[in-house]
Amino acid sequence: MKRLFALAAACLMLAACTTTNVKSATGLPTAPPKEAKVLVAQPDIELQLLTAGGLLEPRADWTTAARTNMQAAVEATLKGKSHEFKVLDPSTAMEGREGQILRLHGVVGGTILTYPALPSKTGFDWTLGEGAQLLAVKYSSDYALFVYGRGSYSSGGRVAMFIGAAALGVSIPMGGQQAFASLVDLKTGKVIWFNQAIASPAADMRSPEGATLLTEALLKGLPL
Amino acid sequence: MIIRSLRIGAAAGALLALAACAGIKAVPAGPYVHGGTSMTVGRTWTDLGLVPGSPKALRMLTIDGPALNTLFVIDGLKDGEYIVRATSKERPTPTYRRGISPSEQVEFLADSTAAIGFQRVETDNIRPVTVSGVDGVRVDLTAQTAAGLNVSGTAQLVEVGGRLYILFYVAPTEHYFEATRAEVEAIMGSAKITG
Amino acid sequence: MSRPIVRAALSSILAASIATSTVTPAFAQRAVGQRPDIATDEGGLWAQSDKAETEAKTKAELNRDPELTPYVRGVACKVAAEYCGEVRVYVLDRPYFNAAMAPNGYMEVWSGLLLRARSESELAFVLGHEVTHFAQGHSLASWRKTKSAANAGMVFMLVGGSIVGGLLYLGVLSSLFAFDRTQETEADALGLARAVKAGYDPSAAAAIWRSLGEETAASDFPKTRRSDTRASIFNTHPITPDRIAALDALAAGAATPSVGERARYRAQIRRFLPAWLTDDLRRRDYGQTLHLIDRLAADGEDLGVLEFYKGEAFRRRRQEGDLEKAKVAYAAAATRPDAPVAVWRELGDVEARLGLTTEARTAYETYLAKAGDADDRWLVEASLKKINGGAAS
Repeated sequence: MKRLFALAAACLMLAACTTTNVKSATGLPTAPPKEAKVLVAQPDIELQLLTAGGLLEPRADWTTAARTNMQAAVEATLKGKSHEFKVLDPSTAMEGREGQILRLHGVVGGTILTYPALPSKTGFDWTLGEGAQLLAVKYSSDYALFVYGRGSYSSGGRVAMFIGAAALGVSIPMGGQQAFASLVDLKTGKVIWFNQAIASPAADMRSPEGATLLTEALLKGLPL
Repeated sequence: MIIRSLRIGAAAGALLALAACAGIKAVPAGPYVHGGTSMTVGRTWTDLGLVPGSPKALRMLTIDGPALNTLFVIDGLKDGEYIVRATSKERPTPTYRRGISPSEQVEFLADSTAAIGFQRVETDNIRPVTVSGVDGVRVDLTAQTAAGLNVSGTAQLVEVGGRLYILFYVAPTEHYFEATRAEVEAIMGSAKITG
Repeated sequence: MSRPIVRAALSSILAASIATSTVTPAFAQRAVGQRPDIATDEGGLWAQSDKAETEAKTKAELNRDPELTPYVRGVACKVAAEYCGEVRVYVLDRPYFNAAMAPNGYMEVWSGLLLRARSESELAFVLGHEVTHFAQGHSLASWRKTKSAANAGMVFMLVGGSIVGGLLYLGVLSSLFAFDRTQETEADALGLARAVKAGYDPSAAAAIWRSLGEETAASDFPKTRRSDTRASIFNTHPITPDRIAALDALAAGAATPSVGERARYRAQIRRFLPAWLTDDLRRRDYGQTLHLIDRLAADGEDLGVLEFYKGEAFRRRRQEGDLEKAKVAYAAAATRPDAPVAVWRELGDVEARLGLTTEARTAYETYLAKAGDADDRWLVEASLKKINGGAAS
């Protein structure tokens, strides 16, 4: 079992070897126009601590602080840009087809991290499909920006089987802190820009300064 | 202490993983053979290679990644064999038994899908098909991931020479299932059992 | 003791415990509506509970029937008494006996429990037991104790999930709370007191714990049969004979839940029997499923559905002699008005396999007559053709 997990985890870790890893869609005009309206989903952050006794302890104060800090850092990065921003709390949007699109985005993002170079895919070509237009209409937005952050200091537990983890899109936690950001064109559903960042000790999300550093790295090159 | 040993384990794991990830290979448009199953694919797929913890009879093919589209190719399960390995002796997973009826074959597949971790697995529209001159069945499937993402599936099952051959395609209902469905239908139509 | 005296005795136990808590003052009974400071470890547990609740709303297993959750919440509210306003109930379709309540008021009740309770009193006791863990602050106490425990026997917990029966269950709350013997005994006594105060039958408490032990003993698997019975797959402390004896003593002389009460409870869960029994069959411990079905059938209600699933259990188990047992069960189901129409198809298949050609033909023809435009008509027609030797019927 441990070997299974090591295999699966290592496949994931290989994907995360570089500190930042920017991917953008090929062949698409990546810069949204200046008057574009952008839906900014509140960052989905979760931080946990491995205690000396070997247990994972949920740390609400870290998670809340990180979420607040990342949100503030994202907003600061977007301030001054010409676009019109609207904030979305994802937990209010999990019903119906809208909820399916949001869940699908989580799976697509995790897949981009886990399988960066599938031979069956040429270039960077990921989509949420035509259903993204639902979000465009509901929130009067042209694009959506998502930020995910995870931090843990252990390998977590075991996964029963790779077949389950793979087919269900379960993300296996890695050590340290990492974040990814994606920009989606809501009219086409395509992910037009994607970045992933591994936090150095100086870029710890739990402090405002660290979150700012991480967000700067994460959103560097964001075409907004 | 724990953290240090995990780091060592992770490094060793990374070496192992190079091998496992290296097992991923391209399946270009054209013929694809896995044991006694052969078929023709119309575009490039990825073969994820041997799946850790699953029998050699199983292969997972994908285009965009296994959580976005997967074609399970199950090549000739023998009497008593499983698709999903049990994690303990007293928690058995579904096993195929030679000679079960077509509806029991579908039940075996649905139960195995639930054993993978999908929720609310339901099958529908069982219909006849002929594969290499042998009567088999096609069936459709719906389910959800634990996170609540709806998935759709379709499968082709045929028992030849006392062994069960399955092609089973699963993808999120939102966009992905339909996007590759025509290709999958063509693949299923082209399938031959030479086992 | 007559019922009113029992009730009074138990009520006074509850009152006494409110006045002077039986646990250490650090974890005295919580104030109504209290919230912890977010920077404390209690705050961390609370936030994890909040997260589990947010996820539960989006989970595939959430049971969204418009009447079931309000019904269960109503029962929880009665036993929660002063905490009623803080309790939020989520029913999850998972085929194991389990209920848990988090420090933030989030309560999970699994369908496996609802299927095994025989009356509202039995359900009320279990929910009262969980409310007591909540009221007495047991989860924080147990979390702190587990954290400071020595290295031996520690458990790696998957982030936000647990392995149950070989499946990865995401977002499982209950795995965080492992209570000790003192806490479980207290939850038994005070849980019963809460249920009695709300007007429920005292004998239901020992009855439901005892029935879990009987189901453990009925398992197909030797290690399971020998294992301790637990009130939840996650609890580390078993239901020991002394706990059942204590509950028997507390309820001494009270009558068992009436047939009427069992019938009323069955009416609440009747429509879920097929789906929940299908889920239970997927556990593949057919000894336990058969035992459960026999208990469900004890009052003579829903025999068409229950005998059908009995047949399904034998058909799937495939042990020596099971094919014949499946036939007997399907045939019995087929005589009942509430049997699913599939019973005729399954009966035909089993009879055909037993070489009972005439009976199989009758069963198949009955299925085709009743099944309308079911998508598997063609399969049954093919089976019929086969036993007719290839000639059309």
